Amino acid sequence: MSDVLLQAENVGIRFGGLQALESLDLTVRDKELCCIIGPNGAGKSTFLNVLTGTLRPTSGSVRFLGHDIAGLPLHRIARLGIARKFQIPSVFPSLSVEDNLKVARWGAPAPVRPLAELLELVALGNCAATLAGELAHGQKQWLEIGMALAIEPRLLLLDEPTAGMTPQETLATAEMLLRLKGEFSIVAVEHDIRFVRALNCETLVLHQGRRLRSGPFHDIETDELVRDVYLGRR
Amino acid sequence: MIARDRNWLLIFAVCVALAVVYPFIADGYQLTVIRDALIFGLFAASLDFFWGRTGILCFGHAAFFGIGGYIMALVTLNDAIPFASLLGIIGAVTGAALVAAIIGYFLFFGGIRGSYFTIVTLAMGVICQQAAVSWSSVTGGDSGLIGIPPIEFDVGGLHVDLSQDLPSYIFVSAIVAVAVLALWSISRGRWGTVLTAIQDNEVRAAALGHHAPLRLLVTFVVSAAIAGLAGALYVCMAGLVAPDLSGLLLSTEVIVWVAVGGRGTLLGPVLGAIFIQRAQQTISSFNPSLWPLLLGCVFVVIVFVLPDGILSIYARLKVLFKGRRRAQ
Repeated sequence: MSDVLLQAENVGIRFGGLQALESLDLTVRDKELCCIIGPNGAGKSTFLNVLTGTLRPTSGSVRFLGHDIAGLPLHRIARLGIARKFQIPSVFPSLSVEDNLKVARWGAPAPVRPLAELLELVALGNCAATLAGELAHGQKQWLEIGMALAIEPRLLLLDEPTAGMTPQETLATAEMLLRLKGEFSIVAVEHDIRFVRALNCETLVLHQGRRLRSGPFHDIETDELVRDVYLGRR
Repeated sequence: MIARDRNWLLIFAVCVALAVVYPFIADGYQLTVIRDALIFGLFAASLDFFWGRTGILCFGHAAFFGIGGYIMALVTLNDAIPFASLLGIIGAVTGAALVAAIIGYFLFFGGIRGSYFTIVTLAMGVICQQAAVSWSSVTGGDSGLIGIPPIEFDVGGLHVDLSQDLPSYIFVSAIVAVAVLALWSISRGRWGTVLTAIQDNEVRAAALGHHAPLRLLVTFVVSAAIAGLAGALYVCMAGLVAPDLSGLLLSTEVIVWVAVGGRGTLLGPVLGAIFIQRAQQTISSFNPSLWPLLLGCVFVVIVFVLPDGILSIYARLKVLFKGRRRAQ
């Protein structure tokens, strides 16, 4: 299969006595959108760290376009075409919004999207000169998505992109991602179910470091077991 | 062009104009005083180029100044070497850059940042001073080397001889002006912006594809090279080189000059160096032991009250008055 972008096989990771992840598989095809959900402590962020190569799995492998990416330096992973949005908004507070995006573009091997288009995409067109440190929380999250887009990724990994957002901002973020769907692959880790429902895509449910279910969100939402461990707790 | 850049260029132009006018109103001695202060100003600008943009403090910057000075002295004192002045300057710059590259490589690529970097460079400065004292067969030990000839070279049929006050003043002012302008253009553009980003959040910058350790290393090496150049110029003007030039006191003084003048402004540190040396001469003439005490106090006050240097007083007052007006 030539359109497979990211392939995680039999990934397991152990921190001392704790088996954080166990025999997880994930295949992300080119231009596909998928979500990873699960209750707190299910191993979502750990799995994402493995997918971006920041954590080396104790067993199994992660291959991006056929390269093993475990343990590569961060800037090399970025240049392969993997962009990541961190869970805590990590923009550069002492630079303006525009400079934040510029720094992101300069890191890219070949930036294509014009700066103005990036600003519009993440709804920050009218605060280009504002210092990023002075933005509202939701805007910081969007700016960070914009920075991830600026490096023209093949794969965008989002760690809880809507954490701390108002319901309106959450839905706006989902719309933003749906607009970008089809340009590159997106993997989003979330526990806000409204957001995942709005995306309505392939979903992997984690529970205690293992795969609980996977499939289209519609099937997941109606699954009794998922409801018990996850939705039922809300 | 944004207002901040315009203001900087304006102040720069005023400084250059003052430097041009000064020889017409000053005598030979005053010229040499300002000339030497300008060399230390260049040294301060070199530290600011690194510290101001990366936020990482080098506490042993005098090591590079001293390395440049000693290389210049050894090359120009050796009669067998032709074009000694030019080769000496090149050697001084390369030598300082090389030492910075080796030390910087292990520190930056080894993930050493922040106060750990400061401590290691502090030790580096002490080692350099100790080497200068102990390796007496080459460095002349405690008393250093004397009789270093003034800079002299031919360029395109023009014979440049800097043994007189005025030519040496013009030469130094020109080098300082060009170097400060060059460092400023580097640090306000893409290079400086990415450095600020790395200072804000290095992991994030790396995740965007920036090779942070390499960028920090190159900045450090350029900074050290300029410090080496300043050291080379200084020993030719003073005619002697001594272990103090790579010592802890000078490393501390240069930090104070940058802090007082305004970190990250490049021009502020040059002015800070000139004004503080001026104050040092005045105060030392009353009582020589008073100066180190005052220097320490000034540094503490600056760090607490004006962390962005004296140039920031205006901006601070503006904010203060705006706040008052809003409160009323």
